[in-house]
Amino acid sequence: MIVYIIKRILVSILLIFAVTFICFVFINMIPSDPAEVVLRVRQTPIITEEAIKEVTQALGLDDPYFIRYLKWLRNCLRLDFGVSYINPSRTVWGEFTRTLPDTILLALSSLIIVIIVSIPTGFFCAIFKDSLFDRVVRILVFATTSMPAYVVGLLLMWLISYRLKLLPTSGSGGFRHIIMPSITIAMTYISTYIRLIRNNMLENMKEDYVVYAKVRGLNPWRISIFHILKNSLQSCMVAIGMSIPQLISGTMVVENVFAWPGLGKLCIASIFNRDYPIIQLYILFVGILFVLFNLIFDILQHLADPRIRSLS
Amino acid sequence: MITKNAIKPFLILSIIVLVLGIFAGCSKTSDVETASNLNTDEATKMTREELVFVNFRDIRDLNPHLYAGEMYAQEMLYETLVTISKDGYEPCLAESWKISKDGKVYTFNIRKNVYFSDGEICDAHAIKANFDAIIENKERHTWLEMMNLLVSVEATDENTLMITLSSPYYPMLTELGVTRPFAMVSPKAMINGSTKDGVQEYIGTGSYILKEFKTDEYAIFEKNPLYWGEEPAIDKITVKVIPDNQTRILALENGEIDLIYGKNMIDADTINKYVNSEEIEIALSKPTSTRQLLMNSKSPVLGDINVRKAIQHATDKKMISDGIFYGLEEPADFLFSKTVPYCDVAIKPYEYNFQEAVKLLEESGWVVGNDAIREKNGQKLAFDILYNSDSVTEKIISEYIQSQYSKLGMSVTIKGEEEQSYRDNMKAGNFDMVFNISWGMPYDPQSSLSAMQRPVYGDYAAQQGLEDKTHLDDMISKIMVSTSEEERQKLYNEVLSILHEEAIYLPLTYECNKAVFTKDLNNVVFTQSQYEVPFAMMHFKK
Repeated sequence: MIVYIIKRILVSILLIFAVTFICFVFINMIPSDPAEVVLRVRQTPIITEEAIKEVTQALGLDDPYFIRYLKWLRNCLRLDFGVSYINPSRTVWGEFTRTLPDTILLALSSLIIVIIVSIPTGFFCAIFKDSLFDRVVRILVFATTSMPAYVVGLLLMWLISYRLKLLPTSGSGGFRHIIMPSITIAMTYISTYIRLIRNNMLENMKEDYVVYAKVRGLNPWRISIFHILKNSLQSCMVAIGMSIPQLISGTMVVENVFAWPGLGKLCIASIFNRDYPIIQLYILFVGILFVLFNLIFDILQHLADPRIRSLS
Repeated sequence: MITKNAIKPFLILSIIVLVLGIFAGCSKTSDVETASNLNTDEATKMTREELVFVNFRDIRDLNPHLYAGEMYAQEMLYETLVTISKDGYEPCLAESWKISKDGKVYTFNIRKNVYFSDGEICDAHAIKANFDAIIENKERHTWLEMMNLLVSVEATDENTLMITLSSPYYPMLTELGVTRPFAMVSPKAMINGSTKDGVQEYIGTGSYILKEFKTDEYAIFEKNPLYWGEEPAIDKITVKVIPDNQTRILALENGEIDLIYGKNMIDADTINKYVNSEEIEIALSKPTSTRQLLMNSKSPVLGDINVRKAIQHATDKKMISDGIFYGLEEPADFLFSKTVPYCDVAIKPYEYNFQEAVKLLEESGWVVGNDAIREKNGQKLAFDILYNSDSVTEKIISEYIQSQYSKLGMSVTIKGEEEQSYRDNMKAGNFDMVFNISWGMPYDPQSSLSAMQRPVYGDYAAQQGLEDKTHLDDMISKIMVSTSEEERQKLYNEVLSILHEEAIYLPLTYECNKAVFTKDLNNVVFTQSQYEVPFAMMHFKK
C-alpha cells in the first residue's frame, strides 16, 4: 500500500515537471517576438527598434532558450512568475492570487448545486426507471448537455434579469451575483451526474446483495438509500473528485459572460491581450491541479475500495 | 421491489417538494431584489447625478506617460497644454502661445491658479518636471517626431514655458495635444521625479478624480473640486467592467448601465436594433478613420498598376456599406475622408464600374484561361487577402469581394490569421492584399503619413514597388518641416494624389465612433480625439 502511494507521488512529480516544460515550450513556440508583443499590448503606437531592444533586455529575452527555461523554473519555485505584459505594475502572482478566491467560490457554489440537484434526481430516475419523471429528466439532461454554457448563461440572463428583473445581469459583490453563474456552470455537470448516478444505481440493483437484502425482508426504501445509493456513490467518488479541477478550470466562459472577476476572466482577457506570462501560469496551475486531484482521489479510492486494493 | 401503487404518492410528493424548493429559492432572492429595485427607482426620481458607464476591460495603469492605461479614463483625469479642436487648437493648461518666425521656438503662457487634485500647483515648473520625466523615457515616445527634434524645455518663470526644436515641425501642437504622453501628472505623484516605472497615484488637473477602483470590477470617478474650468454636470461616473458584448447590451436594456461608447464596443447589428427604440438612443460620429485594403506593389500580380486599378473599379463599396454595416459606415472614396485636415484634395474617385475593370485587365494582357481565371505569360491572376481572424467584419468583407472578383476572372484566396501573426506578416510584407485601418483623428493625416516612411506597418512594405517611393518619403518629410500653410497644402495634395493614382490603397468605408445610451442622458457627443468619452459635457434630463 505504502509502496503504491510513494510510486504514485513520484510519478506525479515527474508529470508536474513535464507540465512545466510543455507550458514553457508552447508559449515560446509562438513565432512572434515577445518584446514586440509587449510593446503592442501596451499600445505603443509605433514600435521602434530602440523600444524593442530595451524591452528584450528588460525581460531577459536575449538568453538562450534552455537557460530561460531553467531561470523560469527557478523563479516559479519562488512563486515569482514575472510581471504582466499588459500591466507592468502588477505581478503575475498578484493577479493570480487576486482572482483565485473568486473562482474557487464560484466553483464551490456550483459544486454544491450539482450535489444537491443531481443526487436526488439521479436516485429517483433510477428508482422510477422509464416513468414519466425519468423520461422528462432524460430529455432535460440531453438538452442541457448539448447546450454550451455561453448560451445557457445568456438565456438565464435574459429570463431572470431582463424579463423577471430578479437578479443583476452581471458583476460581483454579493450573494445575488453568484446565483446565475453558479447555475450556468452547474447545469452541464448536473446532467452528467444524474446520468452517472442513475446508471450506477441500475447496475447495482442487479447485484446479488440487493436480492439478498430483499429476501431478508428489508424495507425497499432502506435498500435503495442505504445500500444501492451508497454503493453507487462510492464509484462516483472519483468522478466527482476529478470534477473539482474541471469546475475550477471550466469557469472561463461563464466568468466572462457574467463579468465575474475570477481566474477564468483573467485568463480570457490575457489570451485576447497576448499576456503570455499570465497564460503560462494559468496552464501550469490547471495542469498541477489535475495531477494533484488525480493523485488524491486515486489514493482515496484505494483506501476505500478493497477490490481495487487487491488488484494492485 | 417497490410496487407501482406505492411509487405514485412518493413520486408526486417528491416533484412537489422539488418545485416548491425551486420557487422558495427564487422568492427569497426576489424579496431582496424588490427592495433594491425600489432604491434604484427612488434614485432615478431625483435628478440623476451618477452615470454608469461600461468598458470591456479594467482601467489598468493610468500613468499617462506610458501607454498601458485606458485612454478615456486618462482623458478624465489629466490635461495637456493645448486641446485639439475642430478648428485647430484651443487653450488648455496653456492660456496662449507664440511660435517664433523660424518655427523652432514655442513659448507657452501657462494658465494661472490651476491646481492638481492633490493641491499642488500646476505652473510652468510642474509642467517642466513632467517633460523631464517624459524625456527620461525618450525611446518609448520617438514615434512622435517632435521627440526626435526636441532641443530643450525650459520654465523661464512660473507662467512661461519655452520649448525649442532643432527644426520647424508643423504637427507640434497636435502632438502636444495628445494625452499620451503629454498629459500632466502632479510632481508629487512621481517616483523621485520619474514616471517611467510608474506613478504613486493618478493625480492630474482634469475635471474628474479617481475616487475608488477595484481591479477588473469597477472604477468610480468624482468631480474634481479643484478643477479650474467649467464644472461638469454629472457628479459621479462609475465604470463597470463587462467583457461580453451581449451581456453589456442586456445590462443597458436592464437599466444597470447608462452608456456604451466606442468604436469597438458596439457592432452594427446592435446599433441597427435601436434605431427606432423608445428607451435607448444611438449616436454616430463623423468619420474617425478609414477601413481599407492595402495592396502590395511588390506582389507578382498586384505589382501591375492596371490590376490594382481594375480592383478599385470592381469593388462595390456601397454594397459593403449597406449590406455589412447597415449604412452606418459610409462608403469611402479616398485614403482619408475629406473632413480630415489637409485632405480635401481635388482627386477623382474610382467609380464602381465592372466594364472599366475588364477593360483595364485586357489592356494589360490578362486573358481568361480555360479555368475561367485570367492569366498572362503563364502567371495566373491569383492572390491572397490577409485578414485578422479576430475580426468577423473583415472576414465577411473578404468573402464578399472574393466572390465579386471571381466574376472578373481573379482567383482570390482569403487567409485569416490571429492578430499577432497578421501584424507580423503585414510588417514583413508577406501579403498581396491586407486589411488596414488608418490611425484616425487626431493622428491623421500627419502621423499616418509619417509612419509610411518606416518599416513598422504594412504601408512601408506595400509601397516598396512604387517607382516614386523615395520621392514620396521626401515630400512627407518636407510636409513635417514646412512653415507655410500654402506650401504644406500643396505637398499634401501631391502626396495624396500620387497615392491615389498608384491605387495601392483600396478605401472601403469610413469608420465612425458609436454610442448607445439611455434616453435620459443628454449631449452625448464626440470630440476630435476618438478615444475620449466627453463625460464633462453630458447631463441627465431634469
